[in-house]
Amino acid sequence: MTDGHLFNNISLGGRGGTNPGQLKIYSGGILWKKQGGGKAIEVDKADIVGVTWMKVPKTNQLGVRIKDGLFYKFIGFRDQDVTSLTNYFQTTCGIVTEEKQLSVSGRNWGEVDLSDNMLSFLVDSKQAFEVSLADVSQTQLQGKNDVTLEFHVDDTTGANEKDSLMEITFHIPNSNTQFMGDENRP
Amino acid sequence: TNNRGAGKTIGDLIAYKNVNDLAPPRELMIQVDQKNEAILLPIYGNMVPFHVATVKSVSSHQDTTQDSNRNCYIRIIFNVPGTPFSPHDANSLKFQGSIYLKEVSFRSKDQRHISEAVQLIKTLRRQVASRESERAERAT
Repeated sequence: MTDGHLFNNISLGGRGGTNPGQLKIYSGGILWKKQGGGKAIEVDKADIVGVTWMKVPKTNQLGVRIKDGLFYKFIGFRDQDVTSLTNYFQTTCGIVTEEKQLSVSGRNWGEVDLSDNMLSFLVDSKQAFEVSLADVSQTQLQGKNDVTLEFHVDDTTGANEKDSLMEITFHIPNSNTQFMGDENRP
Repeated sequence: TNNRGAGKTIGDLIAYKNVNDLAPPRELMIQVDQKNEAILLPIYGNMVPFHVATVKSVSSHQDTTQDSNRNCYIRIIFNVPGTPFSPHDANSLKFQGSIYLKEVSFRSKDQRHISEAVQLIKTLRRQVASRESERAERAT
């Protein structure tokens, strides 16, 4: 494959942490291979629904949303990669990339955004963190105002993180109207 | 001098101003950044900062039922409005309609690291709380 861009040091991020690997972006789509073999992720261009960039500490993160609701994030792009890839996505794949911002203010209040199986916690309209609802094993309503998400314990994915998220509880005050009377809330 | 006035509240405390003020993660684990008064939590491959003033309490316990795994757990509870004596109450009008992160819990195999994190968070939390209450007293 001669067309496209190849990056040697791109981590796949997700539940369990990050895995280093190699990423190829070409006219047919996206291919990521884990360093040393094993896991690979292949995304056909036709299945891509959205592409986002986000500045994270000292590097950039590419978010790829695909048809069936899955979301991949690839970490480790330089600023100049962002510029060239943004052009490449647009001219070769006909995809316009969006920019997301990361919240680092350290506040614990904001909004919850649910789309395509992802739950994002936004502070000042910037993303503080996001989790996949596909990894949630159980949700519990505690009292009138608290919702707890319990996460699957997965020891098989080669997680590199030392501490693993098990539970998150959100407090939704009565003054919040976003999820009022919504049975499907997380 | 403005940010030292009587209007100073928890809502004005900011952990980081810019994304690049955070160090890239060397290891995905719970960390404490004394300088920026922040705790950093590994969530889905990113380190997520919270100002220590948002923390209400922190505790840990060890799993005694599964001796083979020796997991230990850390639970961090954040301030939310509506709890008695919550420093947030003066503020909750300002942020009406917000959803709060109330609690997170993590599992770890490294008990020493977890106990250390609990101690560091408790100490930092105490330091910041006493500084802020002194500041509030001076302002009145």
